[in-house]
Amino acid sequence: MRYDNLSVLELRKLLDNKEITIEDLFNNSRELAIKLNGDYNNFVTILDKLEHSSNKNSLLNGIPYALKDNFSTKDILTTASSNILKDYIPVYNSTVYQKLIDAGCVLVGKTTLDELAMGGTGTTCHTGVVRNIWDKKRMVGGSSSGSANAVASGIVPFALGSDTGDSVRKPASYVGVVGFKPTYGRISRYGLFAFASSLDHVGIFARNVKDVAIVTDVLKGKDTNDMTSLEDDNINYLDNLDNEIKGRKLFYIKEVINVKTNNKETDEIIKNFKENIDKLRELGFIIEEVSIDKKLLEAVYPTYNIISCAEATSNNANLTGILYGPRSDKDNINDMIFDARTKGFSELIKRRFVIGSYVLQKENQEKLFLNACRVRRIIVDKINDLFKKYDGYILPACGTVAPLLEDASDKLTEEYLILENHLQIGNFGGFPSITIPCGYVNNMPISINLTGRAKEDSLVLNMAYHISNKLGNHDIIARRDNDV
Amino acid sequence: MNINISDLKDYAHKLMFDMNDLEYETLLKEFDVVLKQMDIISKFDNIDKIEPMVLPFPIEVKLRSDDLIEVLTREDVLKNAKEIENDQVKVPRVV
Repeated sequence: MRYDNLSVLELRKLLDNKEITIEDLFNNSRELAIKLNGDYNNFVTILDKLEHSSNKNSLLNGIPYALKDNFSTKDILTTASSNILKDYIPVYNSTVYQKLIDAGCVLVGKTTLDELAMGGTGTTCHTGVVRNIWDKKRMVGGSSSGSANAVASGIVPFALGSDTGDSVRKPASYVGVVGFKPTYGRISRYGLFAFASSLDHVGIFARNVKDVAIVTDVLKGKDTNDMTSLEDDNINYLDNLDNEIKGRKLFYIKEVINVKTNNKETDEIIKNFKENIDKLRELGFIIEEVSIDKKLLEAVYPTYNIISCAEATSNNANLTGILYGPRSDKDNINDMIFDARTKGFSELIKRRFVIGSYVLQKENQEKLFLNACRVRRIIVDKINDLFKKYDGYILPACGTVAPLLEDASDKLTEEYLILENHLQIGNFGGFPSITIPCGYVNNMPISINLTGRAKEDSLVLNMAYHISNKLGNHDIIARRDNDV
Repeated sequence: MNINISDLKDYAHKLMFDMNDLEYETLLKEFDVVLKQMDIISKFDNIDKIEPMVLPFPIEVKLRSDDLIEVLTREDVLKNAKEIENDQVKVPRVV
């Protein structure tokens, strides 16, 4: 029997009816993970043996899952896909990992990411390129590349990632799975290797919205180890998925949909989006077009770039090769650190750090870093203003299907198309934001994205559940080049 | 503002790493784009009157009391260090 296309609740039923065992599930996941890893590079580490602490009260008891390799896991290699951490064994557990242990979940492995989560292609991992499970010639996107593939390929029903700009929601779109970034602080970041602390979120991949809700219910809540974590809202998201949504108001942004392009794929995606808007109106959503100053939308990417690179330089100052990481043989401490960092970081990371260093220079702080923080406020205020009238906004998750690897580049181009960067608004405002598969273009999955008011995760999941049911395309396993 | 490779080296060295010549040249070309993009954010009216946003929304930060809760064992602390002497991480002499 194949388990790789089953949801959490379907697996739960099989486990409860003793039609399968936890060992069966783990072994099935592990074997598939190993089989696909040579071609797709989804995992940095695949666990050898099952570790399980039973929790019979949990829906997730015995359910296998994968964890991005930037979550701290005691005694399990955690590399952040960087050479500077290639041998690092954490001495403590991240809160999300501990919560999943307590819920009886079974970790299958640690997934590959763009180095230190600072990339959007899946091509900058120290173990090589992650290839899209739908088409090996294409990128999977990033930075939560392996987690996205692991869910899309059916290795696991859910996986965790981190999302600083779009690192869960965009790869989710590229492989046709659901990707959810809850409100900032809804899930503790303790033990997640920080990239840009004011933008970092824990995110969840699954093949349907219901599974996302089940996992979020387990992970959310206040954590004394993360001072930015929110008090629990005491709402069970699973129980509220089916609430009535008739009369809920959504908007889409005219300037995003009308972006000028010569790309036929983008035209197809926009056409699909407009057709889907009509379908969602049939559900009872009131959906209106809203105009936002294009200048503001064009400022999204530079704002993100400045803030994230600046915060990253600070957050990664601890990577010195002294307490952990490859140690240099230089004979004074400054040269040792300099050498370890020069050898330990890849070119892309260094470029981003230099941008961060530049914007934080004394003479640039006011004009660049602080102005970026000010523009962030203008953008967030604008969206919050719209949220007084609307329950959320809906847009294509991105403007293309997963690009071909030969086209992949993390070098910045002048074409900072607003269609490719609007997901970052969700990080600026800490808004709950979810990517929902909605169809195919060129035989590759495409998605829409729904973003709602901060702290209204339950409503966003409730609306997403109805949207996903209407549009179909949930619980899909990727077609693979060489099916197994 | 014009930036040259010497500036880029300075920014990199301040963060304690170096790049090779080709990487600096690539980065210099990218800075053309980066600087144009960064110009966009300075062109909002009265931007200096706006308070910089450092978190997505106001968060009441309560510092916990300074109680000893959890302590790493010496063995754990030293686990990842490559050079250890007398139960301490060894570094080159600094004085």
